[in-house]
Amino acid sequence: MSTITSRNSLVNEETNRYEFAAGATIALSALLFALGMTALFEFVTLTDPVAGVPIVSVLGGLLVLIGIVVLGLGVSSRLELTESTPDRSAGLVASFVFGGIWFGIGGIVAAGMIGLDGAGWILPAFLFGGGAFAATAFTREDIGSTLPAGVSAILAGGVFLTGVLGPGWSWSPGSFPSDNAVTFFPSVVVPGSVLLCSLLVGWASAKAYAGFGARGRHLGAHVLIYLNALGIIAVLFGLVGFVVSKGAPTAFTGFTIGLGVGPEVTVLGLSFSLPVSWPFLMNGASVFVKIDGILPAVVGTVWLVIGAVLFAVPLAVGAAVFLAEYAEQGRFTSVVEVATNGLWSTPSIVFGLFGASFLIPRFGGSKSLIAGMLTLGFMLLPLVLITSREAMLAVPDEYRDASAALGVSKWQTIRSVVLPAALPGIVTGVILGVGRIAGETAPILVTMAGGTLPAGSETIDVIGGFEFISTPPFVTNEALLEASSALPYQLYALITAGLGGPQFQDAPFSALDFAWANAFILLTVVLSFYAIGITTRYYFRRKLNR
Amino acid sequence: MNLLPRRRAVHWIVLAREFLDETSASALLALTVGTVSLLSSLGLFLNASPLTSVPLLVFLASITYGWVRHRELTARAVTMAMTASTILILALIVVFIFVEAWPVFDVARAEVFGISVPGLRLFTQAEWAPRSAERYSLLPLIHGTVMVTVVATLVAGPLGVASALFVSEIAPPTVREVVKPGIEILAGIPSIVYGFIGFTIISPWASEQFDLVGQGTYLFVGAVVGLMALPTVVSVAEDALNSVPESMKDGSLALGTTDWQTMTTITLPAAFSGVSAAVLLGVGRAIGETMAATVMLRNSPQLPEPLYNVFYGYDTLTSAIAAQYGEATGNQLSALFAAGVVLFITVMFLSIGSQLIERRMKRQLGGQE
Repeated sequence: MSTITSRNSLVNEETNRYEFAAGATIALSALLFALGMTALFEFVTLTDPVAGVPIVSVLGGLLVLIGIVVLGLGVSSRLELTESTPDRSAGLVASFVFGGIWFGIGGIVAAGMIGLDGAGWILPAFLFGGGAFAATAFTREDIGSTLPAGVSAILAGGVFLTGVLGPGWSWSPGSFPSDNAVTFFPSVVVPGSVLLCSLLVGWASAKAYAGFGARGRHLGAHVLIYLNALGIIAVLFGLVGFVVSKGAPTAFTGFTIGLGVGPEVTVLGLSFSLPVSWPFLMNGASVFVKIDGILPAVVGTVWLVIGAVLFAVPLAVGAAVFLAEYAEQGRFTSVVEVATNGLWSTPSIVFGLFGASFLIPRFGGSKSLIAGMLTLGFMLLPLVLITSREAMLAVPDEYRDASAALGVSKWQTIRSVVLPAALPGIVTGVILGVGRIAGETAPILVTMAGGTLPAGSETIDVIGGFEFISTPPFVTNEALLEASSALPYQLYALITAGLGGPQFQDAPFSALDFAWANAFILLTVVLSFYAIGITTRYYFRRKLNR
Repeated sequence: MNLLPRRRAVHWIVLAREFLDETSASALLALTVGTVSLLSSLGLFLNASPLTSVPLLVFLASITYGWVRHRELTARAVTMAMTASTILILALIVVFIFVEAWPVFDVARAEVFGISVPGLRLFTQAEWAPRSAERYSLLPLIHGTVMVTVVATLVAGPLGVASALFVSEIAPPTVREVVKPGIEILAGIPSIVYGFIGFTIISPWASEQFDLVGQGTYLFVGAVVGLMALPTVVSVAEDALNSVPESMKDGSLALGTTDWQTMTTITLPAAFSGVSAAVLLGVGRAIGETMAATVMLRNSPQLPEPLYNVFYGYDTLTSAIAAQYGEATGNQLSALFAAGVVLFITVMFLSIGSQLIERRMKRQLGGQE
């Protein structure tokens, strides 16, 4: 009795120590991953010393450490010093991943470090890859998961520690011609291998922490999937934050709020000064203004969106009504469905080509605002059609039946029952679709592109452009037939003009700053549409679920 | 054998006669006038005639009359015409880009077994020299698109499916409320903004880090495009995963399996076709992505050496159109339309393929829901 108890406590103690080691290894891998990221983006330099030791050696030491610990975890599980439930093998997916990674290691070691020329890398690559595959596939799961991961970490760490990858090291594949040459330096190779090894070891030690087997795989997979989700959100916030920090200061140059500071406007015969002055949005770009701005592009984008919505939304909602309410499932509806999905995935530049060959010759023969409006309308059509149809199909049949039971006609039912119930879905679809087309560059690039830096006087005036004449087509609009700028196009035009290019006379910012501010405004416009669209959807969904 | 079509024709005739009997003469007249005027304004518009607005006004008048007197029929007819417009637009796209592309296909003929195949030379030689030799080739463009798409798929496929698993199966509700809109907003960032960041930050960084000659790599364009295709993969794959009936997952969990075992043995296999449709749609997005590639690549169609050299990026089908359209004329313009044709056909195949896969999945799971 007492021997069993003491043996149990021994195993328990071992298990505690084992779990502690595994947990610590996971934490160290996370730390190494973060360090690798900072090194890759050059926030730290590899040769900088930390407490007298260069960072590359610190990374190497940590890699060797976690490699040894994870090997120990695997071995102690194999020797059954701890309680674990490993499967017979780590599985084919893991085997192929490790085989592939070691194939690469073998090839790089042979070509980059030993310096075998030509096809000399192939044999070692296959030897290493095959060995890792066998070591993963044909051993018990605890060894198969930890051995290849631990050994790669030890190998990478050892290479860093011994200084083989010193500051002077570089390697360029010999088979690449000089005008297509690539050179690998430690500043990329070291962080890259740190990232890879920390992922492998982190995964293996997560498996070890949960005692391998089904629970081990569960934890290992969850660690990777959580990391992936975290990474995507980090990229999102990083991108948006970066654009804001680069563009906002320029965009808000000279921004003031106060009575009568803004430009004078006339509404219904009353003229007054706006209480806001935002030069970047209210000026054009010319030598006559102090702070150059993007007013023509903003106005162009607004008119583009209005035109596309006026053209596409009635068409799309009407078609959705027909598909959801009138049509019986048959050949016609399935052809429409294929066509709609096809339009949804047609690349935007193809829409642009179509607009250029179909619309431009029919609207005055040159790039024009109306060609851009209609081209974006063609793109908006499938986006709104699909979401509107889904929204209408989601309206319960009881609503329609109740209405029909009252003797109300079909169209009346649609107008007073189906459309109101589906309205939130339709509106969300329109908002998200508008967000998408407002940021499109490719179609307007070929259908309505204007100048690079339009002056304020080139701001398009659609309402004042209408003229009625006595011969067909009875109504004309010069403004619609002119080329105009738009926010995304202007950003593209700035890039192609060369960002060192057009220097502003006396503006407090450079062309590059101007482009960042343009990107910031564009991003703000588009993301506001998305934010509004997504919020409305959540709001109405929550209301429905209640 | 011939009975079936004939019976169907009879069926239609009966339906048409019933319709004619039930509908009043004035409604029929309005319908006819509306249809004829709509078709003729379409025809006039195709001929770029200024008279287009005349039948259009007639059409509007007939609709207004119909709306006042015969609302039910008019609503039905008008929405049907609107539905038909989707097919019409797709058909017009096909016709117009093919017509514009034809001249270069006609010029670039090549003989195979004595038969002159139009356009074959576009795919058999790799030289793009519009000014000096009037030589056009889609080969380097297709190569570029393939390189970018492969890299983008390697990024968007695994990461997208993992995110879809996270959002639909793993994440606790509060985390999901953050991650899901986050991924959707990622889809909202305009491609030119990605391109601008790539052009000002990533490309110079890559050129310095890898000591490249000039700027522009397929590798990083592919990574950026993969990031842009990711939201498509996530949202479609998530729908597929959600459509696996709860009862199937519960049955597995009741046997004492872990979440992950249920995902790999039940949910993913059941949703496999939907998930692969998601990846296909993501591939379609990656192929069609234009601005990031245009801004980040070198815009001079040629093949890198060796062919798998992802560190040198020249041109893709989309970027060639966007970059060269402004100054192209004649056969060069036509060659750009030919690039558009290749794009359109490829993406259409992917779209139809993914729809077939999704339909199959719906049929398979349909019985259990």
